[in-house]
Amino acid sequence: MTTDTDTIEMLRDSVTRYAADHYGFLKRHAVLADARGFGAQAWADYAQFGWLALRLPEDAGGIDADASAIGALMEVVGARLLMEPLLASAVLGTGLVLRAGSAAQQARLLPALADGTLKLAFASDDDPVCAAGDGADGANSADSDCTLRGGRLHGSRHGVLHGDIADRVIVGARDADASGAWALCLVDADAAGLQRRSYRMVDGRGAANLRFEGCRVERLDAADAAAALAAARDEAAVALCAEALGVVRSLVATTCDYLKVRKQFGKTIGSYQALQHRMVDMFLLQEEIRALTRAAQRALHGPVAERARIVSGAKAYIGGAARHVANEAVQMHGGLGVTDELDVSHYFRRVMVINALFGNRDQHVARFVDAALADA
Amino acid sequence: MSADTIEQAMARAAQLRQDIRRFCAETMPAELRSKSERHQVLAKADYLQWLRLLQRQGWVVGHWPEAHGGAGWSALERFVFEDELARQGCPWVIPFGVKYVGPVIYTYGSDAQKQRFLPGIISSEEFWAQGYSEPGAGSDLAALRTAARRDGDHYVVDGQKVWTTYAQWADWLFCLVRTDAEARPQNGISFLLIDMRSPGITVKPIRTMDGYAHVNEVWLENVRVPVENLVGTEGEGWTYAKFLLRNERTAGAIVGMVHHALQRLKRLARETRAGAARLIDQAPMRQRIGEFELRCFALEEAAYQAMQALMDGSENGAEASLIKLRGTELYQAIAEATVEALGLAGVAYDTEALHSAELPPLGPDDAGGIIKDHFYNRAATIFGGSSEVQRNILAKMVLGL
Repeated sequence: MTTDTDTIEMLRDSVTRYAADHYGFLKRHAVLADARGFGAQAWADYAQFGWLALRLPEDAGGIDADASAIGALMEVVGARLLMEPLLASAVLGTGLVLRAGSAAQQARLLPALADGTLKLAFASDDDPVCAAGDGADGANSADSDCTLRGGRLHGSRHGVLHGDIADRVIVGARDADASGAWALCLVDADAAGLQRRSYRMVDGRGAANLRFEGCRVERLDAADAAAALAAARDEAAVALCAEALGVVRSLVATTCDYLKVRKQFGKTIGSYQALQHRMVDMFLLQEEIRALTRAAQRALHGPVAERARIVSGAKAYIGGAARHVANEAVQMHGGLGVTDELDVSHYFRRVMVINALFGNRDQHVARFVDAALADA
Repeated sequence: MSADTIEQAMARAAQLRQDIRRFCAETMPAELRSKSERHQVLAKADYLQWLRLLQRQGWVVGHWPEAHGGAGWSALERFVFEDELARQGCPWVIPFGVKYVGPVIYTYGSDAQKQRFLPGIISSEEFWAQGYSEPGAGSDLAALRTAARRDGDHYVVDGQKVWTTYAQWADWLFCLVRTDAEARPQNGISFLLIDMRSPGITVKPIRTMDGYAHVNEVWLENVRVPVENLVGTEGEGWTYAKFLLRNERTAGAIVGMVHHALQRLKRLARETRAGAARLIDQAPMRQRIGEFELRCFALEEAAYQAMQALMDGSENGAEASLIKLRGTELYQAIAEATVEALGLAGVAYDTEALHSAELPPLGPDDAGGIIKDHFYNRAATIFGGSSEVQRNILAKMVLGL
């Protein structure tokens, strides 16, 4: 599946224009103040423009978006710090229903996902980098804490992005009645036996710790759950690379502009070579992030063995690069850089969340190195 | 380029890569291969043999337009040529004729100059050196002071060049000289082709820390150069000099060199035992190699992106500098780690053994060559536009600071 370039560019243009008109920094402050942690009006707008249906096949009203098309959306999510559950619901949740849902489940769930009335969160597993390192096996011995017994879900998941407002949560769990094989479970937010502790992440988006005490679930079992989980985690990592690219582009542009206007000792600070060279390094990191994001997007649709190396390599390198850019952006803005009033600190906080989601830097480095040195 | 043309260029480049691999496996003479694998010092005859073998395939000037005897390669094919040769650890394709002065001559030279010089460059009959840097003009090249004054149908050149690679082998020197001391620095420069046999030229070797003298001082005292050896227009030399520097900063070789150096480090770490375990199975080395793999991956993808941009016209002007900066910094880090992994064999150094097929090496077979390469390429962040100058240029030209 390859989305054609024109479609991707049209998507990029329309999301960019929408975000510029409706998601400026001040308007976003109103969203930050909203108890739900996302903009209900924006969410309805996304549904109307078809952005919640991108992953769907064309005959179901979508564009069968590949990783590059999803990336075009995610770059704007990063560039404008959008708060809504696009990644959790429209990309990952919808993707899992498509991968592992039966025809009947798809017919029931996809329309509600596309029109925004159903919001999914994805509680992948607490340690998303698979131990085997081949990307195909979702098995992870450290992660047996969610278990299905007699069709009821027991266990917990922490730090579930948008777990606070999701209507249903997709949980990866071990099926005790099937020798511990992986299972994908849909749990209703109001299911009996679900305890939810909601809170905000550092970037203002909502999350939850979930505890399941014998919850009824609906299973997605039309495909191998382990493979579907592994694919979804890689898809998440690649989407986060694109989001980081958007964040970094904004930080590089805003910092470069600031160096040209801020004066100290009678000169613009951008005239000092010490800062010029550091600004150049930020720009070079941006270009590397762009190259690696594209590589990861291509790899997502390639062979599984290559996928592990390239996706984790990209997420690891980009995590470090984005963090460096964020640190430097704050530093070069001086005291303003740490204020809540300036967007720089909000980008900084989004980078922290991106780096923590779906495998942190160390986890992805480890998976990359295992794959890169597999023949050594 | 349109999408279709790009696809064709990529197919041609992939084919070229295959052809080069086969060529290296089948055509490289055994002695040259052995010297290359041990990273031994090569003689002029070795380099010339290699250049001529490559040119039998038409590859040495593959990047030239067909009208001048080249193959009209795309930027991608040119990249692949440099990259694949470096990956295979082949001898350096000495660039001064085919890559540097040749394109200046066919772009800006007279018909007589093209007829006189291009055949000797293509066939490597004539060996060229680059007369750019001076003691007071390194990164600030426009500060050069070597003067040429007109005397009838000759220029008379006086001054001093420095860091002139392989001047001791050169038949010709392409040389930046100042023909107008009054003009602003960039305006008074001219581009001369100087016969190295001219009276008044003295070449003095500069010994570098690898124990060799690849570079020289070239002194010019009342050297008479016929006016017909002026390239283009008097006073316009800076334009040609910058054109040449753009060719100097093509990216392929450094990416392949990084890849080759990393494979070499991994091989050493697999073959070396420290205590009971192989080096590569020990956490600190594994972590270092892992970091290099990650940076190498990023470099390769950045290079791929740069080639795409060159072909579809979306360059931002930073591509070549990005590859040079990241590539040379990474190469040096890998070389340093490799020398350290050699332990005491990484400081035992016998230059005699590097010339000789008979003398046994100190330590692992290629240890001496690894040290020599490390020394030589310590200058990689200095020559061809130092890292600092690259960042100055990007700050000004790309970021507008």
